[in-house]
Amino acid sequence: MNGKLGLKHIVLGLVFLAILLFPLVWRSQYVIHIVTLVLLWSFVATAWSFMARFGIVSLGHGVFLGIGAYIPILLFNFGGLSPWIGMVVAIVAAVMMSMILGYPCFRFGLVGDYFALVTLAMAEVGSLVVVAYREYTGGSLGLTLKSSNRSWIDFQFDDKRAYYYIAMIFLLLALYLWRRIGKSKIQMALTAIGESELAAASLGVNVIKYKMLITMLSAGLTAMGGVLYGQYVTYICPETVSGVSVSLSVCFKAILGGMFDMLGPFIGTAIMVTLEEYIRISLGTKFSGVSEIIFGSAILVLIIFLPRGIFGSLKDLMVKKKHIERA
Amino acid sequence: MADQIIMAFINGILLGGVLALLAFGLNLIFGVVKIIHMAYGQFVMLGFYLIYSFNAIFHIPLVPAMLLGIAAMALLGVLTQLLLINPLLNAPRLNQLLALASLIIVLENLAMIIWGADYRGIPLTLPIINIGEVFIRSSYLIAFIGAIVVLGLLYLFLHRTYLGLAIRATAQDLEMAEGMGINPRIVYYVTLAAGGALTGVVAAFFVPIYTVHPHFGSSFTIMAFVIVVFGGMGNLLGGFISAFIIGVATSVAAVLYTNELADILALILFVLVMLVRPQGLLGVRA
Repeated sequence: MNGKLGLKHIVLGLVFLAILLFPLVWRSQYVIHIVTLVLLWSFVATAWSFMARFGIVSLGHGVFLGIGAYIPILLFNFGGLSPWIGMVVAIVAAVMMSMILGYPCFRFGLVGDYFALVTLAMAEVGSLVVVAYREYTGGSLGLTLKSSNRSWIDFQFDDKRAYYYIAMIFLLLALYLWRRIGKSKIQMALTAIGESELAAASLGVNVIKYKMLITMLSAGLTAMGGVLYGQYVTYICPETVSGVSVSLSVCFKAILGGMFDMLGPFIGTAIMVTLEEYIRISLGTKFSGVSEIIFGSAILVLIIFLPRGIFGSLKDLMVKKKHIERA
Repeated sequence: MADQIIMAFINGILLGGVLALLAFGLNLIFGVVKIIHMAYGQFVMLGFYLIYSFNAIFHIPLVPAMLLGIAAMALLGVLTQLLLINPLLNAPRLNQLLALASLIIVLENLAMIIWGADYRGIPLTLPIINIGEVFIRSSYLIAFIGAIVVLGLLYLFLHRTYLGLAIRATAQDLEMAEGMGINPRIVYYVTLAAGGALTGVVAAFFVPIYTVHPHFGSSFTIMAFVIVVFGGMGNLLGGFISAFIIGVATSVAAVLYTNELADILALILFVLVMLVRPQGLLGVRA
């Protein structure tokens, strides 16, 4: 058992080292860009899974992503405020928004598919609000970040590897928080709530408090992802950061990899982004939808046959094998 | 301004008829199969594209093209039941919802590849009816009358045929229905076929009103949800009434403010009803 664990740690360490050193060795801007996107979106997918793994499946994370993407760019474009401050404002705004949206849902005991539907409607409201205030946000046409030459202060770097490392730090932060929660009382409380809300409440678990906590955390992290996306890509529109489609896409990346395991969202995102790029290059932009079709069908098959996702199922398989060997 | 509001009111009622038809299918599927058909609006989008293709590419006259489209959508409904819903019948509700949501991604991208991102439509010029200062588009009127006729036929089907009785029985109490010798699988297939055909019918009525694009469906999915939830999920009469309420409310709000604000209003209403009165305005708490 100990030997196996050691092997696992060595593999993880090597992967981490590879991700850490790779932009210094490999000079291809393009590959670095792809890996940056993987890190960024797996950070968001991980943030989403914080809630989802306890059965609180939100289809409205586009709201928080949109808050993160829009607020710093708007503050910078119109007020010249540094996006670092913008990020703090965005996180606070997203957490507050999650409280406003989450509290009534949890207070009225909205769970499962009903919660998913309500959050989906919230995502749609989010993108409609962006479109409605088109004088500021550019509506469906999108919003472009003004460029500046005050590198660090304005969160704009000529060397794109800076974004890579920021995305990596964000992802590591999310994974660290995941582990911390795994060892804390929150994990136990939320697992109990996920199994039976009524039973948990009758044992004295404060259902609303714990659900609110994890929702606020997830929303804040998602907003951070939105900030980084906006600053890195420098162009945002409702389709890419706030609508229903991005909310679904984030949750499906996590489901693809397996949202119950710490590295599942990362693996799902890596598979999806690579596939998307591979098809875009080999078939051209006209067939860019093919990867989405494969993605959607894969999700369908996964939900029907392997509800724990690719990584989760592999892990289950290995655990089962271990049990068989032992027996 | 007053004229505009009266016009919006009338248009809202006319549109409400089609929305009632749209919501009816979703409601029927929810009531009988107990599944939330997330990709319902995308089915309408697909039906629209099929009718367009039959007419503009294969040169089939419009009415037979519409009938073909409706038949194809019914078949698609059956296929959905066979390939997707049957394996998930005993899965958690959330998994069913997510599976159908992933169908959204598949269908929208399929449409994008086959038909491209451009707006497609069949150019039809239908006269505008003029009563005093109020103008009514006859395409809306045809859709309204057609929708009411189809809803009437559906009512007769559900209340005057054996199959209709079986469907209602299954919706009310699955176990009892099985005990009475009803095979729920067959009822499910019929329901999905009817739901699919309805998306085709709605698409046919939309042909003279709208042009279609790959993301055409999503707003109708959400609109149908709003109506169904407002009237009480599974409650067919409630859905019928709320379609008109929502139709008029969004239409008038769009004239008074903006289109987006009208949609936001409808969605906020949806969230509030979900939170405070999940059984719907006319629903009975189970």
